[in-house]
Amino acid sequence: MTTAERAQGIAEACRDFEHLLGPASAEGFLEWVRSELGHAGVLDGFQAVGGQMLHAVAPGVILHIVSGNTPHAALQSLVRGLLLGSHNLCKLPGAGLPEVEAFVAALPEALRSRVELSTSVPETALESADAIIVFGSDETVARFRALALPRQTFLGYGHRVSLGMVFEDPAFESAPAAALDASLFDQQGCLSPHCIYVADRPEEYAARLAVEMERVQAANPRSKLGVSNAAAISEIREMTRFRMGIGDALQLWESAGSDAWTVIFDAEPRFSASVLNRVIFVRPLPEDAVAALEPARRFLSTIAIWPNRREFAERAAALGASRVCALGRMQEPPWTWRQDGRQTLAPLVSWRGWEGEGTSADCL
Amino acid sequence: MKDGRSVSVRSAQNSKFEELEERISGVIAAAEPDSFDELALDVFRFQREFNPPYDQYCRLLGVGESPAGWREMPALFQAAFKHASLRVFPEEEEIAAFRTSGTTGEGYGVHHFCSLRLYEEAILRGWDLLGAPRLPQIILVPSPSAAPHSSLSHMMGTLKARARGGTQHWCINTDGTLELDGLRGVLEEFRTAGQPVLLLGTALAFLHWFEALKGESVALSRGSLAFETGGYKGSGRTLSKEALYEMFHQRLGLAAHDVINEYGMTELSSQCYARGLGLPHVAPPWMRAIVVNPATGREVADGETGVLRIYDLANLGSVFAIQTRDLAIRRGGDFELLGRDPGALPRGCSRAADEMLSASS
Repeated sequence: MTTAERAQGIAEACRDFEHLLGPASAEGFLEWVRSELGHAGVLDGFQAVGGQMLHAVAPGVILHIVSGNTPHAALQSLVRGLLLGSHNLCKLPGAGLPEVEAFVAALPEALRSRVELSTSVPETALESADAIIVFGSDETVARFRALALPRQTFLGYGHRVSLGMVFEDPAFESAPAAALDASLFDQQGCLSPHCIYVADRPEEYAARLAVEMERVQAANPRSKLGVSNAAAISEIREMTRFRMGIGDALQLWESAGSDAWTVIFDAEPRFSASVLNRVIFVRPLPEDAVAALEPARRFLSTIAIWPNRREFAERAAALGASRVCALGRMQEPPWTWRQDGRQTLAPLVSWRGWEGEGTSADCL
Repeated sequence: MKDGRSVSVRSAQNSKFEELEERISGVIAAAEPDSFDELALDVFRFQREFNPPYDQYCRLLGVGESPAGWREMPALFQAAFKHASLRVFPEEEEIAAFRTSGTTGEGYGVHHFCSLRLYEEAILRGWDLLGAPRLPQIILVPSPSAAPHSSLSHMMGTLKARARGGTQHWCINTDGTLELDGLRGVLEEFRTAGQPVLLLGTALAFLHWFEALKGESVALSRGSLAFETGGYKGSGRTLSKEALYEMFHQRLGLAAHDVINEYGMTELSSQCYARGLGLPHVAPPWMRAIVVNPATGREVADGETGVLRIYDLANLGSVFAIQTRDLAIRRGGDFELLGRDPGALPRGCSRAADEMLSASS
């Protein structure tokens, strides 16, 4: 199969998964290859790239290790491997991921045969893989990094946190967007916000956000929780109440009679992580956000901004975010996004060069 | 005038404390639950009167001063001890303070005491109810002098009153590591004398010891016992209770029934015990341990899983009702401890609070 044929097959399978993967097209996939590897056909044979004749060689076998319980990482990683033309061994969490199984079933046979799903890691897979991609906690990534052989390409994606920043919004027009970002996928993804920093009247903004969280809940109810996650929400709510009682500057808004959503205003700007499942903090945006974001610095992924203007994007990027987007679009990174600040296709390929036809003598 | 009023309030506070302390001490000594309900209400009212942060919390919840029963008394999460001084006495009357480990990175909580009478009586009476024999004690936690703010060290020190001949050997170095040579020597001495011993330590300390043995086993005299407590929080280690008890068997020759698990915490004054595997933890008569649904706050049905809530009369000086994050299965009036988040589904790629805090601490 050529790259164009693979791109076509993947795009067709993505059609039913737009809610998870966003829009996808064959041309978009080819553009992605072009942007990272220099030419859309460079995986199929020699092409002139940057004055050289180059052929990008994909890993024969990619082992994908996905330890989270959301399907995004697995689907995105699989698409990358399929687009490159690799054979893909995908280790899913113990309970499996139905969305991933459905996606593989939707692939044309020629691509489907390049995917093997499993809930365990066969010993032979670790040895036979040319590349290993791991999504999980820092501990999981470190464990597999230690197992990787020197000849294997290793890409590790640890857990990340994201947040929102509202720089200017006198009418709180961004609140519906913030509520959507905080609610989608029950806040489980690394692109889900833990906190919204608000420059002006943050406490009032929190009250408005609570109204919007209830709206999202009515249209898209949160999944049922297990005891452990329910206990985490109960604790954060009761501790907020307790701290309000002793005079700490907090406010609490919560879904009536359920733990579906929680908004906590905390006048303390220092970042603290949410317990997830639609528990969102609102904090004042300080002049110097560097100190406030110190606890998140190592793990920072996306900062969503409002308004989505260059001056604010520069400020957000300077804080260490590898991705800046508009509030309300946190869960829709383009295929070409630099995950954790890195390209996603280029690090996987190796190169063959031909110093012949089309080679620029100037390069020598 | 103001000073005079303050003294008179203090005096009333002290005499109420002493009166309640005396009554609770009686319950502990008799180990009978008869007056639990009545005492619980009196303790609740006393704490509402003299523990302002707790009173304020109850007010925010709209709970009056005469709830229908102890189950209706608001329980404070353990984390509250990190944010406020939860005591019914003025700071200058404090005689002891135990600190939580602070392993979650939020700083530590403090449990303040103006009297250790109930605390120590609860330790000793709770131990007696276990029916364990008096044995020389080999202890794998720091001594009270080395760790004056550790409630566990204080508990071990208190148990000296139940050690055969008052014999206690503390086998921890000043840097917190196990004193392996000393441990080996003292165990050999008792084994040669045919004297059974009681080994006491955290599950993590035992695990470190067993690993240091590198496959060797240690012979103990018949009748020896072990007491283990705590999980592996903050260590990055996990091990099932079954696997740990198998190690007790392999390394020390102790059957599961010879190993006692203690469930306790800095924020409480009393302990629950389970002996061996497959048996639930039992609270002493002056304590109630119930399993609640975290979403509703109501007690779960028998056999169902929820979070553990403890009502401890010996917590007279702080807060009677404590909400934990530990999961447990209700077994009648007892509970089967599952611990923190066992089998919790792995999350998505978003880093949750606990994980992040432990990574940055």
